[in-house]
Amino acid sequence: MDTVKVKRESKKKIKVDFERAPLKERLKQKFLSANFLYKVVFVIFRTVLLIGITFIILYPYIKKILSSIMSISDVKDATVILITKNPTIDQYWFVLSENNYIQAFLTTFLVSLSVALIQTLVCALVAYGLAKFKFKGNSIVFAFVILTLMVPQEALKNSMDAFFRQITMFETTLNPISFILKPLQDWFGMFENGYGFSDSLIPLYVLSIFGLGFKNGLFIFMLRQFFKGVPDELEESAFVDGSSTLRTFFSIIIPISIPMLITVFIFAFSWQWTDDFYTSIFLARENSAFVFMKHIAATPESIAAMLKNETQNISSAYSAMVLGTASILIALPLIVAYVFLQRRIVEGVERSGIVG
Amino acid sequence: MKNANETQNKVTLGSSTTGASTQKVYLATPKKVTKPVAKQPQEPLEEAPVVAEQVKTKETAEGPAYTPYVSKKKGLSLTGKKALSGWLFCMPFVLGIIGIYLPMVIKSIEVSFRGSKGNYDYLSFDAYKLVFFDDGRFTTTVLDAMGDLVLQIPAIVIFSLFMAIILNQKMTGRTFFRAVFFLPVILSTGIIDAIDAQIDAGSMEESGAIDDNTGASDGGLISSLDVEMLLSNVNLKIGEFSLVEVVTSLINNIFKIVSRSGVQMLIFLSGLQSISPSIYESCQMEGATAWETFWKITLPMISPMILVNAIYTVVDLFTAADNRVMQGLGGYGGLFGSANPGNFSAGIWVYILLVLVVIVVVALLMKTVVFYQRRD
Repeated sequence: MDTVKVKRESKKKIKVDFERAPLKERLKQKFLSANFLYKVVFVIFRTVLLIGITFIILYPYIKKILSSIMSISDVKDATVILITKNPTIDQYWFVLSENNYIQAFLTTFLVSLSVALIQTLVCALVAYGLAKFKFKGNSIVFAFVILTLMVPQEALKNSMDAFFRQITMFETTLNPISFILKPLQDWFGMFENGYGFSDSLIPLYVLSIFGLGFKNGLFIFMLRQFFKGVPDELEESAFVDGSSTLRTFFSIIIPISIPMLITVFIFAFSWQWTDDFYTSIFLARENSAFVFMKHIAATPESIAAMLKNETQNISSAYSAMVLGTASILIALPLIVAYVFLQRRIVEGVERSGIVG
Repeated sequence: MKNANETQNKVTLGSSTTGASTQKVYLATPKKVTKPVAKQPQEPLEEAPVVAEQVKTKETAEGPAYTPYVSKKKGLSLTGKKALSGWLFCMPFVLGIIGIYLPMVIKSIEVSFRGSKGNYDYLSFDAYKLVFFDDGRFTTTVLDAMGDLVLQIPAIVIFSLFMAIILNQKMTGRTFFRAVFFLPVILSTGIIDAIDAQIDAGSMEESGAIDDNTGASDGGLISSLDVEMLLSNVNLKIGEFSLVEVVTSLINNIFKIVSRSGVQMLIFLSGLQSISPSIYESCQMEGATAWETFWKITLPMISPMILVNAIYTVVDLFTAADNRVMQGLGGYGGLFGSANPGNFSAGIWVYILLVLVVIVVVALLMKTVVFYQRRD
């Protein structure tokens, strides 16, 4: 094309003069093509879909938040559906002050943090053993991992309680774990009240240490798939450089799998945070010393007193709102943590390269 | 008082438990032996550089301590050593299974054979008779629940695959959408779920009477009437299922489907990320459209993940606390009328066996379609 003129401007720059098509033409080509139309339609479709589903997911939470600032007069008013006419913070105030929120927050936080840390570490160890070492029985151990994933926890509710209540039932002499736990129970004098370990936090930690906590099978499975994707050459070179397997694990494997470990940790932490299964088995005694998040989900006394004079419909609607407020308060710390860590979740799983 | 009784009469079922324990003794031995190895990080240091030459020194150093794994070279081979480390890493879980999990499972199964009087002396099949024959409540509930799940499992798997593909594309606000989509994994569990169920039950009590005759379910996104209008020409019916009902129930359960597909979405996303971009590139060069690329590349490459997700969804839905069977079994009463731990155990173990059968069937069905990329 003779219209293009190239001239050297400096040593590294050249300048090209050419006759551009007029702006109108260029815009026409860009915006009136079928490709552009297709793209626009696709983007609109995708955005509408995403926003719609986002709305479906968020709607219950939005509804809860909006009704958490309603007062009783809003419940009586038929014209109020979502937006309150008399906003108050009564519900928050009563739940916070009368349901021991601070104490529940502290205990739940400490317990969830420690349990989640233990579970993450133990699951990583077991998963690493399953993923990277060939030994007889590897597949049997893995089958048991899947089994623990498949048996619903409710199935073992009674026997779990019985196990930690009185360990003698399970053949102390032959079973290494009850062999350790039984003297401990005697030592603490825990049989005296008839609850054994069942009224302490010990069962939670024992289950976590042995990789049997809530959904630990899933964690082991996820981590195993992740470790399978880690190239063997890393360990081989570490071995040649004289590192033991444990040292390789802690100083090479753990650092490179931080995103995945954070994912598992978040799951473990939040599932322990909202747990109402283990805390209801093990700490079910009425005057138990521990207050957990699940104890917050109750109608505070002063609200119950307030509702005595109201009709059945109104009082049940209002106490549902109070429960909703309680669940906001339970979820709030999790949401805050999630906002900061969610990028890591996706990152961790994306890097895992889970292959069936 | 119960417990004292139990210890004395344990003999009847002792055989099975001791079997497990003897196995454990066998499994435990290598671990005790390995412990010193693990605690001496310097030792492999010495022998590391040239493994073949170092075998002799190791022989003298370790000697007879390794009897269970002695090979013909009279030292621990590299494979043997790796096996030991493998056992060492898995030891917490293996111990937990043998020491805690299996005893609990056995106890739970044992309870189901005790009969209604809680008699420890003899085997009774009362609970199982109740489960299968009494008034059919258990069987009908399980069949109903399975009917529900037949619809929901494909819905969840397809939905999560679809959303994973969309969330995998580059676009503005992707981080936000991802965060929102995975929110239910964190939040729709445990107490928060239980509170939601409680609130739902309360609101249904209030409004249930009003909407009963219109056939519109309150709170649902659409009613069956809307769908009927839309699909008036296509009135497909297969047995009892009509297309209208299926569509309505799926759309009205959309929150449940969305909130149950978080983990599946994560798994699919990771699968999509692991497909090498060069395959897509070459596809584009050959002139394949996005549609063709999906069916010819993405779907086959992601099919192992579909298998994993299908099985995970089956397990997740069957063991969910809001599942009809689990609700009926909860609190021992429900399905059987009388509060008895034996009935509960019998019911739940029969149910678990059924779930296993379903999983095997799903896995076998999926195996025929799954494509594994060869990795050499």
